[in-house]
Amino acid sequence: MRIRLLACALLLAASPLAFAASGDASVGKKKSGPCAACHGNEGVSASPDFPNLAGQYADYLEVAMKHYKVGKRKNPIMAEQVKNLSNKDMMDLAAYFASQRALSVKY
Amino acid sequence: MRPARILAALALAAAAFPAFAAGDAAAGKNKVFQCQGCHGISDWKTAFPEVYRVPKLGGQKAEYLVAAMNAYKKGERDFATMRAMVADLSDQDMADIAAYYAAQAVTTAEKKK
Repeated sequence: MRIRLLACALLLAASPLAFAASGDASVGKKKSGPCAACHGNEGVSASPDFPNLAGQYADYLEVAMKHYKVGKRKNPIMAEQVKNLSNKDMMDLAAYFASQRALSVKY
Repeated sequence: MRPARILAALALAAAAFPAFAAGDAAAGKNKVFQCQGCHGISDWKTAFPEVYRVPKLGGQKAEYLVAAMNAYKKGERDFATMRAMVADLSDQDMADIAAYYAAQAVTTAEKKK
């Protein structure tokens, strides 16, 4: 019983570590040149067809890029853009766009 | 001659705006109650199959939001919850919902915070 409790406590304590790895926004900025063509210089897109990225959650952006890469999201433009990105690249880019401001959550 | 010209102009104008249904943000407000359960809460996370914060929609491009909803509907995006959410939405519903979220841009004052 006590051991089980201890195991639960350890698991709970460790769970934030799973998200500890994070991108570097300043590195991401240097890698974001190609993104700007559609998503805008400040992560605010000039075209209604392309999403704003500024202020979006970094973990969501990472998952979205990974899904384009593995084909869980099917979009020929994005698949081409992310195919050569490493996990670190995607984390850095996500951190960069997340550090900007535009999108919001309002209730 | 003149009516024919007007007709031609109208036809051209209609052609310039293809199938995209014009969204009504006010109507959208009454259609987002299910969306808000996740997208209306800051830092709300998915639980399965991957854990990440659900995206912010406020201030997003309306056309993009419609395209994203259609992609979930058609299976071009793989996420069961969203697929279920959009399954019964009409084109007009999606346009209205998109218009509602697109109208929630961050104000200049908020940006400076």
